[in-house]
Amino acid sequence: MSSAVMGSKVLAIAKDEWRYWRRSSLAQTVLLIALVLAIASVWVTQAAITATAEKRQHMQSDATQVFEAQPDRHPHRMIHYGHYLFRSPPPLSTLDPGIDAFTGNAIFLEGHQQNSATFAEQKQSSGLTWLGKLTPAYVMQVLTPLLLIVLGFGVMTREREAGTLDFLKVQGVSPLTLILGKAVALAGAGLLILAPLVVGALLTLLNGAALLPVVAFVFAYLLYLAIWCGIVLAVSALASSNSTSFSGLMAVWILMCLILPRIAGNTASVALASQGKLETDFAVLQSIRDTGDGHNANDPAFKALKDNLLAQYNVTTVEELPVNFRGVVSRYSESQHTDVLNKFAEQKMQIEQAQADIARKFGWLSPVIAIQTASMKLAGTDLENYQRFLRKAEAIRFDFVQSLNTLHAEGLSYAQDANRYASQQAQKEATVSSANWQILDEFHFTPLAPTQLFANSLMALLQLFCAMAIVVGFILFAGRRI
Amino acid sequence: MQELVISASNLCVNVKEKQILKNVSFSARKGEVMALLGGNGAGKSTTIKTFLGLMTPSSGSVSLAGVNVHQQPDVVRQKVAYLPESVMLYGHLTAIENIKYFLSLSGKQKTAGDIAEALQRVALQEASWNSALAGYSKGMRQKTAIALALLREAPILFLDEPTSGLDPVAIDEFNRLVKQLAAQGSTIFMVTHDVYGACHVADRIGLLHNGEIVGMFDAPEHGNIDSEVVHKAFTAGARNE
Repeated sequence: MSSAVMGSKVLAIAKDEWRYWRRSSLAQTVLLIALVLAIASVWVTQAAITATAEKRQHMQSDATQVFEAQPDRHPHRMIHYGHYLFRSPPPLSTLDPGIDAFTGNAIFLEGHQQNSATFAEQKQSSGLTWLGKLTPAYVMQVLTPLLLIVLGFGVMTREREAGTLDFLKVQGVSPLTLILGKAVALAGAGLLILAPLVVGALLTLLNGAALLPVVAFVFAYLLYLAIWCGIVLAVSALASSNSTSFSGLMAVWILMCLILPRIAGNTASVALASQGKLETDFAVLQSIRDTGDGHNANDPAFKALKDNLLAQYNVTTVEELPVNFRGVVSRYSESQHTDVLNKFAEQKMQIEQAQADIARKFGWLSPVIAIQTASMKLAGTDLENYQRFLRKAEAIRFDFVQSLNTLHAEGLSYAQDANRYASQQAQKEATVSSANWQILDEFHFTPLAPTQLFANSLMALLQLFCAMAIVVGFILFAGRRI
Repeated sequence: MQELVISASNLCVNVKEKQILKNVSFSARKGEVMALLGGNGAGKSTTIKTFLGLMTPSSGSVSLAGVNVHQQPDVVRQKVAYLPESVMLYGHLTAIENIKYFLSLSGKQKTAGDIAEALQRVALQEASWNSALAGYSKGMRQKTAIALALLREAPILFLDEPTSGLDPVAIDEFNRLVKQLAAQGSTIFMVTHDVYGACHVADRIGLLHNGEIVGMFDAPEHGNIDSEVVHKAFTAGARNE
């Protein structure tokens, strides 16, 4: 059979399948639900993320203005007054907010503390706003396969049950032609449901997203839906009846979309158990205690610092030092604290990273896990990007606190500082000018380079390719049994 | 002498280790109508399905127009039209849509006029041409399938219980059509348990019993049919296929 003849037969079969769907109220309902879900999720998430991005930009600038507008104060009070950092969502997060919705996107920066990110969408929303969490990624990853199953479970079994399968063969339609025709029909349905996501992806290009990750993002979802179309087709071709096909496909969906992702997460947390928050907080506190209390310049932990400083300036008392010893202690103590905090934070992040790596390996078993990984990595909403934000925020916090500590050490005399509670006047004098509050740099959390985003997603894309190859093999096997 | 178009040679078919056809041999020449008579479970449908390449012989061979069916099924299917017992067309399509669809799959180009002519020829009421087949009676579906078979212009026709479910007038019309097609050079192979119908249209009649040919008669000499053999073919050892 020439390829042109085969092509025309494939097209005729695909067109007939679509005609069947157009005349079936079940298929119409399924397609309508799928389209409404896809469009609504893209629209709602796009609007929500865009509004959030604008709000964060304003809040960031408000936070800076409020900090800079503070009156003359003791520098250490400004350290505890603190400052907020807001992370603007990356453009593709309008399609896949990833873990950002759970982790929070604002951090309160202050002395002696590394605060967690706060204001996560999931923590703020009430039960009534569940639709807001119906992201395009969730719709494509979990709900669309389900809808494809409802739409296509009977593509082959319907022919078998009606007896048209043999009749088609006698008309010269080979099993391969029939399967290709049905595959084209299912792929058409998949493309229709994917269309809103593609439009959403194109819009992100206007909002500054780079071409490479956007193209890879769309391609990954295309591959993912093709895998599901193939699974639907293969199971339907192997099943003896509509009911067998439907129950078999539902079992595959439950396993892939519900059970395996849970198993992946649980396996990761069991294989690499992380300490609870309470235990970690106690351990951090204990380690920090050993470094001394930075608010108390007479803490024995700073004796060596004091001795070194006195020797360096060749003086015998801290009052004679050209710098404010209390400020120097604060700066030194902050540095010590930060080392401890960073050590614990790095340990925590490494465990999280290792857990994520274990969970992602399950992408070889479930294309849902593979697409989740690829999608978040390309969107820049994965764990690694969140940790990058935390590290960057910590670097900014440290610089911010240390510049105020330097001001404390160099802008305020020891005598003024030590006697500041002696009287109201002394307290007033133990301040520095508000002109010194202009220490905040404009914060921009820059996304990773497009090639880096793509490179990070390669393993997950490979998992999807492998799944596709297995499904194609499965279809060919099923084709031989028709 | 006309060329052999349909030929079965020592055909044996096993299904799950059960022998359905046992050394069946027969042939039909161009323009001939051959009927295979037998009771339920005799192996009639298996014979047709083997000729259509839907079942594989365990030994022996079947060929159509000199081409081995199981070696070149695609070549053979170009020459064959098939009318199944329960007509397997799509309920969601109209008669015209069904015909157009199956014609497009078999690579035949026909005009709307050709299709209308075929539907008129099988006497399917024009009012129902554009109604979904889901609402058709068995006879109407049968007529649609016959119209499709006519439009395929296949030189070989396989008919599985073609008059089952048709009213007497439709049966007469059908028989006339079969004779007409044979006169035009088509070779027709039908399996049926309608002895009267077979005698009426067939040139040769084979009797199948428990997967074996137990008699072969030339129909013009209907009087030659051994009623004992026919009785045996229909009553003894019926089994499900």
